[in-house]
Parts: sequence; structure tokens; C-alpha cells
Amino acid sequence: MILLLGGCACPTQNVDDRVSASQAEDPLEPLNRGIFAFNMALDKLILKPVAQGYRFVVPEPARRGVGNFFSNLKQPLYLINALLQGEGAEAGDISKRFLANTFWGFLGIFDVASELEIPKVTNDFGQTLAVWGWRESSPYLVLPILGPSNPRDAIGTGVDLVLTPIDWILKNEPVLLYSRIALENWDKRERALDLLDNLERSSTDFYATTRSMYQQNRRQKINESVDALEAQPADYEFDFDIDEE
Amino acid sequence: MKKIIYIVSAVLLFFAGAGHAQDQAAVSFVSNLADKVIKEIITSSKTPEEKLYLFQDDFQQALDLKNIGQFVLGVYWKKATPAQREAFLKEFTDFTTKTWTDRFNMYDGQQFSFSGTRDAGKAQVYVDSTISTNPPISVIWRLRQKDGTYRIIDIIVEGVSMAMSYRNEYTAFLQKNNGNLDTLTKELKKKSDNFKFTKSQK
Repeated sequence: MILLLGGCACPTQNVDDRVSASQAEDPLEPLNRGIFAFNMALDKLILKPVAQGYRFVVPEPARRGVGNFFSNLKQPLYLINALLQGEGAEAGDISKRFLANTFWGFLGIFDVASELEIPKVTNDFGQTLAVWGWRESSPYLVLPILGPSNPRDAIGTGVDLVLTPIDWILKNEPVLLYSRIALENWDKRERALDLLDNLERSSTDFYATTRSMYQQNRRQKINESVDALEAQPADYEFDFDIDEE
Repeated sequence: MKKIIYIVSAVLLFFAGAGHAQDQAAVSFVSNLADKVIKEIITSSKTPEEKLYLFQDDFQQALDLKNIGQFVLGVYWKKATPAQREAFLKEFTDFTTKTWTDRFNMYDGQQFSFSGTRDAGKAQVYVDSTISTNPPISVIWRLRQKDGTYRIIDIIVEGVSMAMSYRNEYTAFLQKNNGNLDTLTKELKKKSDNFKFTKSQK
């Protein structure tokens, strides 16, 4: 029950209160900013240059195949979370997608499932915890390397790491295991190159921008995964008050 | 008996329909704008600079930039002088036009499909739409009706309100800079002058 008392983002309350409330969700801001700066430095030093090199060397169709391949390896994890959430229909879609892409899509390199119009869903253990009742989670956290989070989703990320079936198989092959994790993230970074670049160059305070966007987007994902009746009003439904002058 | 069921169903359908009252004018406003921007700007082979020039007009007509500017500054708007507000609105408009032209440049021009409208109170309405990718991307347009015309006051992509994101960003910036709006305006101008468009990967 205590877990539910995370503070409510009620849409009807005054927006000025809301802004201070959302700042109160970041009492660790000085520490978070430090870790954020570390992550950004690490990104500029390693992740981003390699992602740029990868984009430069490997043509788009091949990169799409790589992305499909790693996405396919994650489906069993999504399936486990869908089952833990009691999402039968989602579990069915994920199974169909995994089977179609693994067998007809040459181990997942070709996204046959999307051609067959099988919906693409992701599912993580943070969402599972939300379905189980941990609806609101603060404070805002920036994790080293992993980035924006909160206590619930930090635990979720940790559980997802040990819950990934492909990694059980690769357990005794540490080179393959770490290659899988590194390549999956480099591929993701490549696809985010342009948008993240744009966001960074257009922001006067990139830490504040990522915090705001992460929190809003995460709440949306949580709202989508919990029962419609229990869902909080969406974050964007705030009072857009306008003073006429 | 059959007749009664028929009448009851008709009445229920009527109320169900009333509950989902569509603000067709609002949907048309957004879909016409989206079609125009996709056709004339996004999928055309113009340079980013030419697109920026075209986009400026559409952007400034479609968005209620004064109200957005007022909202994103929060308490700092009330504290600012008219001259400060005007200077801020100019740089805010210039810079967001540039960054959004750049963002739209990354978008391949997939069609929007519109699923309905919801009343947002205070003469405001949400227009729900999705971009037909797999998984689909949710885009919600928040419009305000004034003097018989619509203006966009917020765009919400996958739950992320642009107005709220700017507000959180600028409030954080101003807090670090003693609430001095001139500092923010200068920073926006500096970033706008140095802004370079992303090289197209298409």
C-alpha cells in the first residue's frame, strides 16, 4: 500500500504547483546531474563515435537487419513480462512475432511479422511492477551508463537483465554475451543519433529536457500497461491556463 | 417487442454517438495542416534552408506562439517587462522553427490517421492521431479555439507534451540564472545562430 503513495500528478491542479511538484521528484538533482555529465562524457567518448562509424561503414538495409536480429532476441523477455502481467493477447502477438521472424525471417534478420501486420510491442519488468501495484515511483534517478530511471524502473532494468532468456544460453560464453549487449546498444544508439543530436543542440538545459521527456514518456507507457480503469489521467492533460491581455 | 429493442438501441446509439461528438472542424484543421506540411515541405527535395523559409509561415500561422511562450515561462512571464516578453517570443519562435524544421526533416512523411477529438475545457480540444508505423506513434494535438479559428497550443508525442518539456527546461535554466529572462533570450539567440541542420540520412 505504501508503494501507492507516490504522489499524484492530478491534471486539474494548478500548473505552477505541478512544476514545483515535478521538481520535488528530483531531490537528488546535484548527484543526478553529476552522473548525467559522466554518462554524456562516456557517450561522446565511446558510444556515439562508434555508432557514427557503424552508420558510415554499414549501409542502411544491413543495419536494419542487425536491428531486427537484436530486437528478435528480446522477444522472449517481452513474452515473460506479458505473461507476468496477465496480458494474454499481447503474449500471443509476441509469440507469433518471434516464431514468424525466427523461422521465416532467417533468425530474425527479416521482419516478416511486420509484413504480416503482427503488432510490435515491448514489455519490461518496470511495467510488470506497475501492473502489480507499484504505480508511482520517485525520486528521479540517473543511473550510471543506463541513464534516466526511478527506483521501480531501476529494479525493473535489473530484473530484465537476469530474465533475458538468450543470455541464459550465452551464460558460459562471456564474449558472446557481452557482444550481444554491446551490439544491441550500439545499434540503438545509431538509430537515435539524429534525434538526440537535435534535442541536445536545441536545449538550454539538456539535463532538464531529458528528465522532463523521460518522466512524461514513462508515465504514458505505464498508463498503457495498467488497466484502463486504474490508469492515472495522462500527464499532458494539465491546465493550459492563458491570461488574456 | 422487436420494435422496442430497435428503439432502445437507436436511443443508446444516439447517446453513444453524442459521447464521442467529433469536432470535425478541429480534425480538418490538423489534417489539412499535416497534409500541406508533408506535401510541400517534408517529402519535397528542397534544401533545409528552403524548407525553413516555407515552414516559418505555416508554423507561425498554425501555432499560438504568444500563448505557448507565456505558458513555457510560467511565473517568469508575469515578472517580465513587455519588452523582455517581446524579445523572448522572437527568439523562441525563431529557434523552435529551426529545430522543428530539422526534426520534421527526419520524418519520412508517413500519413497520420485521426481517431477522434476530446474536449479539453476552456475552448480547447485534443485531436488524437497516430503515425502508421509499427508500433504506431501517438501524436495528440491540443488546439485552442479563438475568434472562430483554431491554433495549436501543444503537441504531445508518445505522452511527451512539448509545451511542458519547454516549460520544465526553461524554468530549470532560469532558476540557475537568477530568473533573468534576458539571459535565456540571449542563450536562445546564440543557439539559434549556431544551429546546423542534421545531414539527411534518407
